Amino acid sequence: MTTAGFDTILYERRGAVAWVTLNRPKALNAYNVQMRDDLYATLELIATDDAVGVAVFRGAGERAFCAGADLTEFGSAPSQAIARQVRFERDVWARLLGMEKPLIAAIHGFCLGSGLEIALCCDLRIAAPDAVFGLPETQLGMIPAAGGTQTMPRMIGQARALEAMLTGRRMDAREALAGGIVTRVARRGGVFSTAERIAQRMAAMNPETMRSVKAAVYRGLEQPLAQGLAMEQALAARLVAASDAARRGGIG
Amino acid sequence: MAISCSTQSGIAWVTLGNRRAGNALDDRQAAALHDTCRRIIEDDAVRVAVFTGAGAVFCSPPPGIRARPAAEAIAAIVKPTIAALNGDATGPGLELALACDIRLAARGSRLAMDQVTRGEMPSDGGTQRLPRLIARSYAADMLLTGRRLTAAEAQRIGLVTEVTAAAQLQARTRALAQALAAMAPIAARYVKEAIREGMETTLAQGLRLEADLAVLLHTTKDRAEGISSFLERREPRFTGS
Repeated sequence: MTTAGFDTILYERRGAVAWVTLNRPKALNAYNVQMRDDLYATLELIATDDAVGVAVFRGAGERAFCAGADLTEFGSAPSQAIARQVRFERDVWARLLGMEKPLIAAIHGFCLGSGLEIALCCDLRIAAPDAVFGLPETQLGMIPAAGGTQTMPRMIGQARALEAMLTGRRMDAREALAGGIVTRVARRGGVFSTAERIAQRMAAMNPETMRSVKAAVYRGLEQPLAQGLAMEQALAARLVAASDAARRGGIG
Repeated sequence: MAISCSTQSGIAWVTLGNRRAGNALDDRQAAALHDTCRRIIEDDAVRVAVFTGAGAVFCSPPPGIRARPAAEAIAAIVKPTIAALNGDATGPGLELALACDIRLAARGSRLAMDQVTRGEMPSDGGTQRLPRLIARSYAADMLLTGRRLTAAEAQRIGLVTEVTAAAQLQARTRALAQALAAMAPIAARYVKEAIREGMETTLAQGLRLEADLAVLLHTTKDRAEGISSFLERREPRFTGS
């Protein structure tokens, strides 16, 4: 077991599964500047530690995965130009979306604004029955800015994404399941054990296979179908070659 | 009066009213709808536009009626748009509804992309918008078989957001439109732009567009008002500036 301490994030590796806990429970794990920096460092650990096969994100405390951005820190950037510069220099969202290892969000309680956007950067979302989802930014004169306007329509389609973001309304776990925001709802009290089980199963698979599937799906959707199919062929052929080489006792 | 538009409290209500032709648009009505949409874009007092049908159908051209295209005029509206499906929306009628951002339907209304059953194909954006709005598998089923969906089926696949009793549709639509009209107008516009334009490009480019629009919003009074209203635990008062 490996742990690393950050101010706002607990990081713990158990076997091949890295647990990332957003840890500001008194503030419903609201995302702030410190959490941005801690999350960025955490992602570096996950990406570079070969012992990590899968990462699971969750929130500390009883009440929330993450209730959104910490508005008390808004307006602290010295200027719009600096805000934009920092946004791209420490691009947590691109880093999350670019992770080659499978990511799971295990969601209980409030999962709002940036919280839902963090979850939408993951590959799988599993909800507790009490989970509450929403992107309320437009109600506050803002837009989702942690990738939500891009990730949500790609995950669940434009129709539902437009409705969710233009109204900002909240959805319960059942509606999130029907709309495809989450793919599973765990039994009461079972969201972390369900995530653990799925993470273990994925972590037991060949990491190169997991990387290839992620690349084929996400990069394939960015390309014309014919190019996506060619990429799938190339990735599959590389996996076969590697496993043949391994059987012969050599290195691919 | 085939196309009527009345504006109340920032909400423009546009009604299709060509009853003898299932509310299908003829040349003159299509031109009128274009004018109406243009005025909605230009009138700062309008925050939200609602499109609905007069009588018992939304828009469902009977066989032999050639409806004129107008979906582009609706899609060009940068403000939030709602289709209130008071009855059937089929063929070109559904194509008009697809150009809106949110669709509500009265129970009993049916939705179909049924041009194929008449040896035709959608020509007002249906083949492009439907698979972008809902999962491709459902879009292909609707486009290739032309089958009619009940309002409940349409809700299940995400094509409509809410199904209400026919008598409740107007009230539910008004409540939704009021909620949208109360939002910061520039933020609503940017969300729509980020989603629509972002989906036409790569994820990386889409993320850049989102970040740029979000930073641009930093310059608006409404964003500052949104943050202070949240911190002061009161309702925000947005001015569109």
